[in-house]
Amino acid sequence: MDRRAFLTSSAASAAVVSLPWRIAHGRSGWRSFEITTRLDIQRPAGLSRAWIPLPMSGSLDWHRGQGNAWHGNAARAELMRDPKYGVEMLYVEWSASESAPYLELSSRFSTPVRDRSVDLSGPAGGAALSAAERKFFTAPTELIPTDGIVRETAEDIVKGNRGDVGKARAIYEWVVDNSFRDPKVRGCGWGDIKAMLETRNLGGKCGDLNALFVGLARAAGVPARDVYGIRVAPSAHGYKSLGTGSPVISKAQHCRAEFFAPGFGWVPVDPADVRKVVLEEPPGNLPMDDGKVEAARKRLFGSWEMNWLAYNMGHDISLPGSRGPQLPYLMYPNAETGGDRLDQLDPDSFKYVITVRELKA
Amino acid sequence: MRARWLLALLAFWVAGAIAGPPKLELEDLDGRVHRLADYRGKVVMVNFWATWCGPCREEMPSLERLRQALEGRPFVVLAVNVAEGGRVAGDYLKTMPHKFTVLLDRDGSLTKAWGARILPATYVLGPEGELRIRHVGALDWASPEAQQKIAALMP
Repeated sequence: MDRRAFLTSSAASAAVVSLPWRIAHGRSGWRSFEITTRLDIQRPAGLSRAWIPLPMSGSLDWHRGQGNAWHGNAARAELMRDPKYGVEMLYVEWSASESAPYLELSSRFSTPVRDRSVDLSGPAGGAALSAAERKFFTAPTELIPTDGIVRETAEDIVKGNRGDVGKARAIYEWVVDNSFRDPKVRGCGWGDIKAMLETRNLGGKCGDLNALFVGLARAAGVPARDVYGIRVAPSAHGYKSLGTGSPVISKAQHCRAEFFAPGFGWVPVDPADVRKVVLEEPPGNLPMDDGKVEAARKRLFGSWEMNWLAYNMGHDISLPGSRGPQLPYLMYPNAETGGDRLDQLDPDSFKYVITVRELKA
Repeated sequence: MRARWLLALLAFWVAGAIAGPPKLELEDLDGRVHRLADYRGKVVMVNFWATWCGPCREEMPSLERLRQALEGRPFVVLAVNVAEGGRVAGDYLKTMPHKFTVLLDRDGSLTKAWGARILPATYVLGPEGELRIRHVGALDWASPEAQQKIAALMP
């Protein structure tokens, strides 16, 4: 099916529906991408369902969602939104009689060519959170408690630091100094920070290390949040470990973090990527005083390279219609067949393939 | 590794019985329901695990070796998969030869009720269903020291 046929025929069939494409942003300084998820339910055993994360639909100064479209043999597909965090997902359902359930979802979005940066040394503006927002972004989640060992650790780290920026900086440096990237962790890690602190094992991946930053910040009273997404392009900064060089990005999921600085707004940080540079940047196992590590450490407090797509900022996600467990976050496609969850961390047996291409103006 | 595991084992060993565990009623991979009461009179090891948990995967072969070592004696291993479902657990276990019983805590609620926050978490119950050992983290359960401790609980 060619692209035009795909877009125009969508409304005609109950089993082929499109969500509206938005007009592409032609402004210079932005790059547009199309990310496609092809999902096949292997060995279907009765009714099958899938929940696929969608790019954030809103427009920010670092992200513009442009819409989604899908085709396949599903009996039902519907855009759904988590009521608490606004996490958007495509819910898909196949009848028990469908012998080879499949779906292909394409989403378009734009990101700025330049890094998303916040200059904390510059003059502060008027950015502020309401009391309700501040409470929301300092609240605990299921795996990110803010009391007990998390609070004790946070209070110890921020001792002597005043203001949210100073506290966030101290926590960022502490996470970078005390954690490590553990390549044996499956996926991105589930971010059970209480367990990490209790066992004194601060190894993990982005889902663990950036959750540690978020939890410690929240426990110290600094509003913070995880941002879940996927890498879509190579790093323009020359870091092999911080980008993807392949159009197949099924395992390129990556979450980041933000904290809120009064006067400046949400500030991007990514201590997990500093530890990724340490472990993976060629030749590997770099010392902390290596120039590449030092540069990344400086850059990743206050900026993100936008070779990455943001899906959402949600925690404790209950998949609509599922009787299975809630998820710490929704960053991978999920599916069930015959009431059994498939392994979201194993795209090859699930199976799903995520590909990306940059759209040329 | 063996020495470190042993130290951990001793650190978490419980002297005497402690408060009874919550109920357990779960299906196995074939849909058959298992309850703790089914195993009264035997020492029961309840091990909570998940495929994404690296230490769980490291530990699991030692559960099977322990089961083999105590075969024919009043002892059973119940390996409870946490919130992954039969498809994921079953696919993984095809790569892990075993004869112990695998149960499915499909929504994770039983795991939470048992307080198994950190995986793997292992509980050993005496013949009357009393909790005798609680251990958090991976352990070589087939080590002579562990076998001896478990055998000592048998009637």
